[in-house]
Amino acid sequence: MTQPSWDQLGGPLSGAEFRAASDAIVANIEQVIEGKTATVRLALAVLLAEGHLLIEDVPGVGKTKLAKALARSIDCSVRRIQFTPDLLPSDVTGVSVYNQETHDFEFKPGAVFANLVVGDEINRASPKTQSALLESMEERQVTVDGTTYELQTPFMVIATQNPIEMEGTYPLPEAQRDRFTARIAMGYPDPGAELAMLDVHGTSDPIVALKPVSDASTVRRLIATVREIHVADAVKQYAVNLVTATREAPDLRLGASPRSTLQLLRTARAVAALEGRDYVLPDDLQTLAVPVMAHRIIPTADAQLARRTTDAIIADIVHRLPLPHERQQRSPYDTRPPSTGDGRAQYDQRRG
Amino acid sequence: MRDRHLGFVAAAATLLAAAPLSTIFERWTWLIQCTVAVALIAGAATLARSLRAPVWAQLLGMMATLMLVLTLMFSSGEELLAIIPMPGTFAHFGQLMNFAVEDMRSYGVPVPDRVGLQFLTVLGVGSVAILVDLLTVGVRRPALAGLPMLAIYSVPVAVYTDSVHPLPFVVGAVGFLWLLVADNVDRVRRFGRRFTGDGRDVDVWEPSPLAAAGRRLAVVGVALAVLLPLAVPGMTTGLLANFGAGGSGPGGNGRGNGGRVDLFANLSGELQQGKERDMLKVTTNDRTPQYIRFGVADELTDQGFRNGQRKSSSRLRDGLPAFQEPGVAGVSTDRYRARIEVTEDFDMGLLPIYPTPVGIENFKGTWFYDKNQQVVYSSGSSARNQEYTVEYMRTSYSATALRQAEPLPADSAEVKFYTAMPQNERVQELVDGLVKDKSRPYDRVRAIYDFFSVKNNFSYSLQTESGTGGNAIVDFLTNRRGFCQQYAAAMAWMVRAAGIPARVAFGFSSGNNRRDGDAFTLTNKNLHAWTEVYFGETFGWVPFDATPAQSVAGSIRSDYAPDVDAAPTPEPSATASGGPAPDVTGGAAAPQEEGNDSADLGAGFDAGTPTAPRWPLYTIGAVILLIALLAIPAMRRGMLRRQRQSAGGGVSAAAVGADSGGEGLRIVVTDVAAAGQAREDAHAAWAELLDTMVDYRVPTDMTETPRATADRLIRDDLVEGASAEAARLLGRAEERARYARDPLQPERLGDGLRTVRKALASRADRRTRLAARLLPPSVLLRWRQAIVESSIRTVLTSGRMRDGLMRWSPRRLLTRPSR
Repeated sequence: MTQPSWDQLGGPLSGAEFRAASDAIVANIEQVIEGKTATVRLALAVLLAEGHLLIEDVPGVGKTKLAKALARSIDCSVRRIQFTPDLLPSDVTGVSVYNQETHDFEFKPGAVFANLVVGDEINRASPKTQSALLESMEERQVTVDGTTYELQTPFMVIATQNPIEMEGTYPLPEAQRDRFTARIAMGYPDPGAELAMLDVHGTSDPIVALKPVSDASTVRRLIATVREIHVADAVKQYAVNLVTATREAPDLRLGASPRSTLQLLRTARAVAALEGRDYVLPDDLQTLAVPVMAHRIIPTADAQLARRTTDAIIADIVHRLPLPHERQQRSPYDTRPPSTGDGRAQYDQRRG
Repeated sequence: MRDRHLGFVAAAATLLAAAPLSTIFERWTWLIQCTVAVALIAGAATLARSLRAPVWAQLLGMMATLMLVLTLMFSSGEELLAIIPMPGTFAHFGQLMNFAVEDMRSYGVPVPDRVGLQFLTVLGVGSVAILVDLLTVGVRRPALAGLPMLAIYSVPVAVYTDSVHPLPFVVGAVGFLWLLVADNVDRVRRFGRRFTGDGRDVDVWEPSPLAAAGRRLAVVGVALAVLLPLAVPGMTTGLLANFGAGGSGPGGNGRGNGGRVDLFANLSGELQQGKERDMLKVTTNDRTPQYIRFGVADELTDQGFRNGQRKSSSRLRDGLPAFQEPGVAGVSTDRYRARIEVTEDFDMGLLPIYPTPVGIENFKGTWFYDKNQQVVYSSGSSARNQEYTVEYMRTSYSATALRQAEPLPADSAEVKFYTAMPQNERVQELVDGLVKDKSRPYDRVRAIYDFFSVKNNFSYSLQTESGTGGNAIVDFLTNRRGFCQQYAAAMAWMVRAAGIPARVAFGFSSGNNRRDGDAFTLTNKNLHAWTEVYFGETFGWVPFDATPAQSVAGSIRSDYAPDVDAAPTPEPSATASGGPAPDVTGGAAAPQEEGNDSADLGAGFDAGTPTAPRWPLYTIGAVILLIALLAIPAMRRGMLRRQRQSAGGGVSAAAVGADSGGEGLRIVVTDVAAAGQAREDAHAAWAELLDTMVDYRVPTDMTETPRATADRLIRDDLVEGASAEAARLLGRAEERARYARDPLQPERLGDGLRTVRKALASRADRRTRLAARLLPPSVLLRWRQAIVESSIRTVLTSGRMRDGLMRWSPRRLLTRPSR
């Protein structure tokens, strides 16, 4: 699916090396973003899981700053796209220009041809422009005028959007949202962090002084390491159960896609690696369920009327879904009758 | 309206429940009387209800009605306007009650229409009707109405010592069920009607969902009713056992024979009574009197001997038939005279006389003499307080003379009638064995008579079943313990089986007490039964007393029927002249006899096996069983814990180089077997921890990961310090065992478990600790869950089966046309 192969990624790192490299990146970003360790780590995890990140929050909480800090911490090609209503798809993907010297069309690469693409205010562009990202995000390639161009590895789109202000925005289409591995909210900093921010940011922007602590090849090796993380069958089963549960949940009109299962597990690997484990725990899935799945699902009209957010629905599912045990399928304390439902049929019905 | 309906159902159910009484009475008069009484009571209740009278007023009305009915039916002649009871009426009622008590003592079932018994029946059924009406309509608890109905049930059960035919009980049960159904239909109707019409999708035949609980109860009830008798020893006899035996019900119902007293019942009743009462005072010039007779049982049915039809009767006032001398050598007759005084305790329609009477004088009332049975009887008069003289011919037989008796022709009337008997293979075999090489009737009878000896283990006991039916005889011949009526009936039965006419005679043995010159007194303890054998016209009926002589005071033996248990003294049987000297082993041998007599009395009361009370044993056993049952969950819990800890014991050998802290990303290839073992241990320890949590009522969450569970324990302050470490270690071990490539190699999971358990126990309150120790919730929960699951499976399976069967249900054809 992803284009890079093993030798292109480089060999996996040892535990200590991995820890050193990842900690360096996190520490570097935290120079700019105070008191948001979990968010920062999650952003890094998405990078290591070869995914894309959607940062969604109210204006002014540091969405763009996080994106830029991550980009600057890694010594690799970074491009930034400011999404505006008049942005065109060719601005994103690139365009073939007629070269009079060679009497031939020459491809001028767009903004996506970089390791890190920061898309600011992505929902301000028209759906036409947003759709330009679809191919590149999933297939890591760009096809212009019938020619397909490979993108580099690592490749990560970090997009920000503002959920509150709806004027002049175009909500992301479902297909686009499904391509983002995780959606994270920045959240307001706590008072102490905000106070510290006043000191640091008062005079100058620290992001200017941010030095890269890692490079693309290191990141590739980190990614290779993450791929090595062990996932037990029980954990895989749990991931499937989680996704199936969203498809069966009565509150949801659309459940999570199989792609989300894959990305959930990948992100869980990255998180486990960042925590220094060489195996994934159901705890990781539980932690990641909301960031990874909440933005992909569509609640029913009833749930929307009841003001149940997708986050709450997913959290609820996580709290109600029993853990699969390695040896016995049912917990001895599970007194509910065995469910015989088949999620797929309901899923299909609900779509109709 | 509805109450009225229910009231009538209650009355009808009471009458149906009275059906078992039909086994007691010979005729149906009681039913007419009861129906009238119950109908009037129901009418009174309905009237009271329609006047909106309160419950107590209904009760009073019904009781008053019952009183009026009784007064009207059993009038004493002293009533005001024939229906208002006066004090004399109640005195009359008391008298009737006394009659009933006496009738109960003296009559066997089925009883004729005796006014006392009828009074008692109407009173009882009427009272039951009042109670049933009150409980059903007044209190709306028809189930309780079963209790008074049960009282009626218990009457025939108590009267019949052996089994009773089940049919009347079925009728009674149907009555009770009808009552219950009527009440519940009424109750269900109060919910409103069910829509079962077109398009309601409700099958007309489908039972109401309200009936589900009833069905369940019914299933449980039937299962209990079937299983309980199997579990309790000694309850298997009865209905189930009787199916095989062909139900020995009240088959031979009486043909209205003018008050046939069951002499056997009377006899055993008197003999087993504690009090000794004088019955007869006899003065006779016979120095060695024989037994006084008063009754005969000559009809043999499956229920045993009973007194049959009287064929040749003549009024006693018209004189007795002339006595014919037998005129055979060895049979002598002597004329004697006796004055017999009957006390008030002997109350029968039969006069005790000496055989063979040639003249009876000074009797009161109308009496008849049955020449065939040699019995004086009356249907209206009683022997009590009579005083009369009997002139009689005493006949003595010698063995040699009797041996000359020829076998009777098989087609003679006597043989036909007096050898009629139900088939009984056991008895027949026994008799055939005894008489097989004997041809003379006397020899055959002697062979049977000699059979009842101590040598054959026969002994005397009053503590036996008193029946003389086929089964009872076989029982007696097997147990060989019994008293006179069984000896007499068994011998008569066996003699009949040998083809010789025989019957059972009732009377008094000659007794041994209070001799005063020619006079002596006979008591109820001297009541006796013996066998009489018919040796043809010449010899007539010859008495044989098979009961062990030592056990009967005043037992008389003759040389044709000597005491089979007596030591074979070289008796000069060469008195051979066949002298008529009957050998009295009774009264003469005074001191020895006294001892025997007391032994006889003792046999009636405290002999029998010394039955130590068994209930303490049963109670202790039940308590032990209960404790054992209660201890099962705790034992199961202990077993589980030991299993898990022994699983955790064998790890130490497999030292593997996995880092314990879970630090870093190291891929450690370990010994697969050791890793598997370590995994098992971690699982076992974790399962044990979860069970411990359940035991101490710490909530468990199946959505929680081991890590989260351990963290929660620490967060909730349930564990701290060392135990917190232990909990975290257990969590990590389980987590790695489940999800990591290589499991953690824990050193002391068992110790950790103990620490955590102690910590949890110290946080729990005393009750929880006690419950965890005695009835561990974890085990109970698991069992409950297993039960729930199996029941769900059963319900699902049965539902599927029903759906499958629905396809073949004929009801679909029924309902289709209406659609």
